[in-house]
Amino acid sequence: MKDNKQKVQIEVSDGAAIPTKKDFGLFTAWHITLIAALSILLYLVIRYPDPYLDILEFVSDGIVVTFEITFVSIFFSLILGLLTGLGRLSKNKCINLIASIYVEVIRGIPLLVQLFYIYYALGSFFKVPPFVAAVTAMSICYGAYMGEVFRAGIESIDKGQTEAARSLGFNTKQTMFYVIIPQAMRTILPPVGNEFIALLKDTSLVSILAVGDLLRRGREFATESFAYFETYTMVALIYLLITLLLSKLVSITEEKMRPYDN
Amino acid sequence: MRKFLLMTLFILLTAQIAAARTIVFAVDATWPPMEFIDANKHIVGYSIDYMKAAGKEAGFTPVFKNTAWDGIFAGLAGGEYDAICSSVSITEKRKKAMDFSIPYFKVRQALVVPISSNVKSLEDLKGKKVGAQIGTTGYFAIKKVKGIIPKSYDEIGLAMQDLINGRLAGVVCDDPVAANYALREKNFASKLKIAAIIEAGDEYYGIAVKKGNKEILDLINKGIKAVKEKGIEAKLKKKWFGQ
Repeated sequence: MKDNKQKVQIEVSDGAAIPTKKDFGLFTAWHITLIAALSILLYLVIRYPDPYLDILEFVSDGIVVTFEITFVSIFFSLILGLLTGLGRLSKNKCINLIASIYVEVIRGIPLLVQLFYIYYALGSFFKVPPFVAAVTAMSICYGAYMGEVFRAGIESIDKGQTEAARSLGFNTKQTMFYVIIPQAMRTILPPVGNEFIALLKDTSLVSILAVGDLLRRGREFATESFAYFETYTMVALIYLLITLLLSKLVSITEEKMRPYDN
Repeated sequence: MRKFLLMTLFILLTAQIAAARTIVFAVDATWPPMEFIDANKHIVGYSIDYMKAAGKEAGFTPVFKNTAWDGIFAGLAGGEYDAICSSVSITEKRKKAMDFSIPYFKVRQALVVPISSNVKSLEDLKGKKVGAQIGTTGYFAIKKVKGIIPKSYDEIGLAMQDLINGRLAGVVCDDPVAANYALREKNFASKLKIAAIIEAGDEYYGIAVKKGNKEILDLINKGIKAVKEKGIEAKLKKKWFGQ
């Protein structure tokens, strides 16, 4: 009976659509896009190594940087998100207010502006390297979004679960970490996966901070060679391939976590 | 009667516009004192005055369109504007992609460092981070020196800001721009200095036009020639560089 409650899905709002087996149309769309993107990329690189292979070589270290920023930011934003989510649900008024203000402030400022602010404006006080500034900005920004996801996920768990755990002698902390959060994870994971992919795409904004990510390397190549069409075609294809593979990864994890749903 | 007057006025006006050919120039107005946005949000600078004077001499009306630097050459190829008036140095590589007017300004690359630094040349900065604007001859100059970590910025002002914030050991850009930041700009001049002029041969600014656009190129060349010959150039130099 209680199981119905747990099928609540948080509305997917951003990021690439995650393919699941139930959704047949999207499943094939994913395959077609992947095969098309991959074959175009390979065709261009093999058929016209000049300039496409040169571009690929030039931006390769940028791909690594993009991944580094994504994974480090995801790690910190998950921690920050969990804390914020719990804070937003806290009965302690002070903690609740702090978490809520954080979410309000961050969600009200565009990420690009946050990046400028942390790097160039605060840069006169805190001399952090570009990479650290980029990761800080991305984590703080996505921490707020993740916080909302965590809050919604935790709230979706029926109150009876808490009551049952409490009557079994669990304290509040134990109830949260042993009973509520493990169940909430199944609801939380799809939107977190989406945020993950959205974050990867948003790392292209850090190219403004002189961080040599995929987009900046592409721009550097394009401004020197004037091969704008070729360079941005490659950059777009690479981003597309990465997000396609990541969304598959997310959907596999998701299916693993819902073994009885299908 | 009034209608008639208005009509003649209208005809006269349109005739005026038709007579003066309009040329749209793309400008990345982040390069003081050559081209930048003043307090009234107008595009001003040495190059801008120069092109206005050239227009007066050769009979065209320049219109300036603010454009981000790293797409400026793509926009020219795509026909979004007729020419680029944005301190574009004439290089062999660029000549293959576009046509250039006769040179209108001689420029060298300057290395800007914090005022306390004792760096004397670009070679002293091996193993350190040096910044420049993306896709400029300054950036290409840094990349040529082995061992330096090049950092590209969207605008030169952002690179200068990072130099002041201590994340860069130096910035390379065209000497008039370097002088502007290191000597005149009030927030920067007390913290920066020009350490060296990089010996990479002289460069010249030219107006870039789409390959094969001879009509526009001839007009612009005619204007530049007149500005040089009539001594207007000297006056403009005095106005913008005080020399």
